[in-house]
Amino acid sequence: MRYGMAIDIERCVGCHACSVACKVENNLPDRIWWNRVLTVGGETMDTPHGKFPDLRMQFLPVNCQHCENPACVKACPVGATYKREEDGIVVQDNDKCIGCRYCMVACPYSGVRQFNWKKPEYAIDTEMGASNIKPHQMNVVGKCTFCSHRLLQGDKPACIDACPSLARFFGDLDDPDSEVSIAIKGRNYFQLQEGKGTKPSIFYLT
Amino acid sequence: MTVETNVIVEQPIHKGKAINVYIYIFALLAVIGAVSWFLQMRDGFILTNLSTLNMWGLYVSGFMIFTGVAAGSLIFAAIPHLFNLEDFKPYTRIAAFLAAISTIVAGLFITADIGNPQRAWLFITNGNFSSPMFWDFIVLSTYMVLSIIFIRQLLLVADKKKQDHTLKPIALISFVAGILVVVTSFVFSFQVARPLWNTPMQSLSFLIAALVAALAVLIIVLTVLNKYGYTNMPINLLSIMGKTAAALLCVELILVLSEVFIGIYTGAGHEYHTIQWLVLGNGAMGFWLQIFFMATAVIILAMGKSQRAGGLLVGAIAAIVAVYLIKSNFLQTELFNPTLDLPGPILYGDITGSYLPSLLEVGLAVGIISFGICLLLLGVRKMNFGVSVNK
Repeated sequence: MRYGMAIDIERCVGCHACSVACKVENNLPDRIWWNRVLTVGGETMDTPHGKFPDLRMQFLPVNCQHCENPACVKACPVGATYKREEDGIVVQDNDKCIGCRYCMVACPYSGVRQFNWKKPEYAIDTEMGASNIKPHQMNVVGKCTFCSHRLLQGDKPACIDACPSLARFFGDLDDPDSEVSIAIKGRNYFQLQEGKGTKPSIFYLT
Repeated sequence: MTVETNVIVEQPIHKGKAINVYIYIFALLAVIGAVSWFLQMRDGFILTNLSTLNMWGLYVSGFMIFTGVAAGSLIFAAIPHLFNLEDFKPYTRIAAFLAAISTIVAGLFITADIGNPQRAWLFITNGNFSSPMFWDFIVLSTYMVLSIIFIRQLLLVADKKKQDHTLKPIALISFVAGILVVVTSFVFSFQVARPLWNTPMQSLSFLIAALVAALAVLIIVLTVLNKYGYTNMPINLLSIMGKTAAALLCVELILVLSEVFIGIYTGAGHEYHTIQWLVLGNGAMGFWLQIFFMATAVIILAMGKSQRAGGLLVGAIAAIVAVYLIKSNFLQTELFNPTLDLPGPILYGDITGSYLPSLLEVGLAVGIISFGICLLLLGVRKMNFGVSVNK
């Protein structure tokens, strides 16, 4: 079994609902975003590229790619990040992370791994998120878990359910009848930085 | 009277009180480092100028430099015994001792850089054999053990309790271990995510930087110890060390300039933009300072002026600054120019400029180096690194 995700970038409208759903579900501290919608071509977020009137907006949602051959797992000196044998999810163990940030250096998908530079602070006083998520710690690296706590309950990751344009698909890549396999079938797709040999589990449908 | 004369001949003539003052001064600076570390551990790395993009800075540069000084010192300590360079043999004790101190300093720099040093024991219980950082941990631990054994053997030979030829095995092992500083380069060059690091050139560059840093630090240490009467190394030997460092820096300069020309030649693409960032963009200040200090060090260390101790000292300091800038620019050029670089939500430290360490980082780094100097001075006071007894 290998969990994977397909993201139809033709359907993505750049609403950031997936980012916000992830932030709420995982109670992410301020300025931590495990799932980000990046803007392609524009100089800053949510700006078009091209020259007026020929402007175009293109978005690229990026979270941990849960690679089959993860560079971060090889790099971590103490095995605090590892790939789960049973479902291919790349896990980060908060209680083992020594905070050396070598995984961030090793990851070709800059920014998907984020360090908690200070004690977690939240924009509102109330804690949010699922009750069974692990608490955030200062001085450790965090990242997308494919919402493994939701998978335990038979739910899909929060970003999948939140997408209003149904651009995200999730499931077992080894199962030809899974939602994600069906979404990929017959479609053109690319993967981020394929040349690096990391074999990501996220497919971008075009 | 006869007894007193003998004492003067047998013991190095030094000014013991002067060294005590320096020990107190550097101990005070070390305390400032400890306070900085406490603050960093209490409030987090937010107190540094590191960021999500540029996650490694002064501490990792310090780690690279002092791992290099340790490796280079081991090589310097081994060569005279392997190739029978009699003139240099009396000074291998201080080199081996410097290797031990530098290993401690490098270890402290990496301790300062990690967020949870209290979990460092996981290196032993959970070490990941596929991680180059774990290999580096093994190499650094080996340096510590080797340098202690080497110093002990060298002191025994100096006290005529052992024969000189018995040093050959430990010298050979130390020489090979010193060359293994290339493992530190693997921490960087094995990363596919970082194209500019991901080249075999880094092994050579790290070895050169290690030797240059070690030679420069040894020149400074020996010049100071000469001045205070702890050692008596002739200026011509110091000058040979300076010229060797100059020659090695020339090779490094060729590597750096080649990398720049290769990047510029393509005229487009990721490497071109990265090199543009370095040479003309936000990294330009650091890059041109690096070139200036490399050239200055080469000229002073290679030219006739360096025959005087003061000139050598200035050249050695310029060489150390050059090595720091080499390491700092090496980190920043790659980290500020990731292969996936698209605008998105604001993260911690979304700095698009360049990196200058925060005051806290500088305080902690100064503290670590000062602690190392304290250990060095204590060793100089307690152990026989002079040449008088040996003669």
